[in-house]
Amino acid sequence: MIAASLYIVVCSARNRLRLRLRRLREPRYLLGAIAGAAYLYFSFFARLRTARTGRRRGAAAAPIALASAMRAGAPGLVGLALLAVAALAWILPFESGLLAFSEAETQFLFPAPVTRRALLLYRMIRSQIGLLFGGAILGIAMPSASGYARLRAAVAMWLLLSAGKVYFTGVSLARTRLASRDARSRRAAWLPLAVLSAAAVIVGASLSRAFIPAPIASIADALDRIAAATSGGAARVALWPFVALARPIFAAGVREYLAGLAASSVVLAAAVAWVLQTDAALEDAAAAAAERRAADLASQASPYRASRTGLTLALFGRAEAVFAWKAATQTLRSVDRRNMVRIAAIVVALTAAATSAGRGASGVRAVAGTFALVTTAFLILMAPQVLRVDMREDLRHLEVLKTWPVRAPAVVRGELVWPGVVLTAAAWTSLVLAEILAGTSAFARVRLAWRLSGGAAIAIVTPALVFAQLTIHNAAALLFPAWVPLGRQRPRGLDAMGQRLIMLGATWLLLIVSVIPGALAGAIVWFALRVFVGAAALVPAALACASIVGVEVLVATEALGPAYERLDVTAVERAE
Amino acid sequence: MALAIDHFSRAYQATSGTFTAVDDLSFVVAAGEIVGLIGPNGAGKTTTLRSIAGILRPTSGVVRIDGHDIVADPIEAKRRLAFMPDEPHLFEYLTVAEHLRLVARLYGVDDFDRRAAALLDELELAGKERSLPGELSRGMRQKVVIACGLVREATTLLFDEPLTGLDPVGIRRMRNTIAARAQQGAAILLSSHLLHLVEEVCSRVIIMDRGRKIADGTFEELATRADLAAAGSSLEQIFFRVTGHGA
Repeated sequence: MIAASLYIVVCSARNRLRLRLRRLREPRYLLGAIAGAAYLYFSFFARLRTARTGRRRGAAAAPIALASAMRAGAPGLVGLALLAVAALAWILPFESGLLAFSEAETQFLFPAPVTRRALLLYRMIRSQIGLLFGGAILGIAMPSASGYARLRAAVAMWLLLSAGKVYFTGVSLARTRLASRDARSRRAAWLPLAVLSAAAVIVGASLSRAFIPAPIASIADALDRIAAATSGGAARVALWPFVALARPIFAAGVREYLAGLAASSVVLAAAVAWVLQTDAALEDAAAAAAERRAADLASQASPYRASRTGLTLALFGRAEAVFAWKAATQTLRSVDRRNMVRIAAIVVALTAAATSAGRGASGVRAVAGTFALVTTAFLILMAPQVLRVDMREDLRHLEVLKTWPVRAPAVVRGELVWPGVVLTAAAWTSLVLAEILAGTSAFARVRLAWRLSGGAAIAIVTPALVFAQLTIHNAAALLFPAWVPLGRQRPRGLDAMGQRLIMLGATWLLLIVSVIPGALAGAIVWFALRVFVGAAALVPAALACASIVGVEVLVATEALGPAYERLDVTAVERAE
Repeated sequence: MALAIDHFSRAYQATSGTFTAVDDLSFVVAAGEIVGLIGPNGAGKTTTLRSIAGILRPTSGVVRIDGHDIVADPIEAKRRLAFMPDEPHLFEYLTVAEHLRLVARLYGVDDFDRRAAALLDELELAGKERSLPGELSRGMRQKVVIACGLVREATTLLFDEPLTGLDPVGIRRMRNTIAARAQQGAAILLSSHLLHLVEEVCSRVIIMDRGRKIADGTFEELATRADLAAAGSSLEQIFFRVTGHGA
């Protein structure tokens, strides 16, 4: 079975690699791959080189100093966190994914003459590519200056991730056994839970003894006490498996690292042995996992509930309204309105509390005000990229849309209406909150007249900026449909990542270019009126800017009509 | 003629070069006529139907619905057309009733409520008005697509494998529905691999193979054609002879 497992793993990896290499013949994938590779290089490897150069020049290697300072207490702290996660795994519905056999695996392997242990081993081997990749990414992201240190960290992280995956599988299997009718099976399943509970009690008692007698003086004091409480006596023994998994990540020398790896491997081997000896529960657990997977797939296929939206489409009217109604219905059916009401209530309550708080709570008000400002900026500048209930989503339904007797520019405009309205309304709401709390945020020193005029100006340009971005995104969907992920598709690979980066860069560039005429007009109005009305000149300046951008949007939607007419359904990229 | 196809071709760009799915196809379908479009897999039937419906642009040639060119005058052409594809493609967030209402709005349907109620009854969808597509079986979803096509007064109806996923009762009703629409004056083009269905409901048949039309006529005309006379009298026998797949 191991040979068969390796065969499947190797064939899958090879075919995926072949597919991705083959599609590099197409310029869009090649460009994407170049952009993705450049991003990776400048994000990680160039940083590595810069750090090396800095070290040669004698510059202080801050991350190394920090790692060195934390080295003594870090394994204990991480071990403690791992114990907490291990305990939570029994309470929360954690899934390792190891039991989630795919449909093809269920069809081919379950009826095959192989043991359940062999199936588990197969899944463990199958998961290695993902785990190795995860370990490599975490190793690269480690705040370290040397490639060797990153490699060491990557190996240590791989062992930690592998042990975690196997452990979570063991918990899933044990949970199934706990529900078994066989008393012996149930007793066996209780054993690891009892051992873990005992470890948690021992460590908890030790920490209580360290923290209850005296209040914490500082973070350093807290760290010292945790280190003292977990590095001796029964707590040390109870925490050993968890600390052993963390130790190689923070090891200083080669000897310490190798010793840490050996201990970490022992823990992984113990976890594997535990899971393999509970394999009797595999079929039930796998069936349960398959059911959950099927439910997940079903919910992915249709995350909508047939709830009343309160929106009824009139039988006559403009075509644009049809698209707005359709997108609104989609949004309302995919959003849990009770949760939205709860979130809104919390936001309103927090804002009210922050606003009415006295001086002592001005920090809270400042944080809330800054948060509202950042949220406003996000909603105006980034959210049009995220909210995709427009042509980017409707490319999936292009076959239906194309049969409708609707003018192409009306289709384009209709697709923009709902996301534009939603984002504008959300940004205005956030802006009002930011204005209310502005007295305590970064703009506290700005005079009220300027704050109000600035807020009004932002409110005026918000719809123009939102609709301009949505127009650019929808134009990209119509002109380069193969670059746009369909629905909730998220293409993977270096080339796909590069494509996303190129699209983001192009969108921002186009936004800047499209706003320039409006910004110039606004600037002229501003300089002409500011002598007479002061800060209030921002409002007519914003009106001038928004009007020009608005006209550009309308012209663009008309101009995109022929692109929609020419758009061929075969140009739309389907899932890999 | 309600539907006229004139020297229509459609090619696809593939990594290995250009692939011509339909090559120089011409035919007409008159009002009240039911024409069967048959052929082996890859013959170009679905490409033809999708091009007539305005989903794919013809590479060359002209497609006219009641005299309106689908490329030059798409709004008027599409207004007169109803396409029922083999794969039920619905908006997963709209209910059955909302789909019908959406179509009524797009096509300007008068007397919508009465028509919708009658169609829901006819297609056994009554009681499912508030269901989302995800809650329906494949056959039911197919019926919703057909209901969307029939809720308006289209002069030209295109059916691509209309019986897929339907139960025996649904199949019988669908046959009757197609015949009834033709009697009311609609031009119907029906693509199917079910040769007995084509033989039963169609008054004429077009046989395609490898993107080209290789036969066009009534069953009597095909059966009496000199090169097919020896094949036999059934459509299946004629089909295998004319496509060269029979042995």
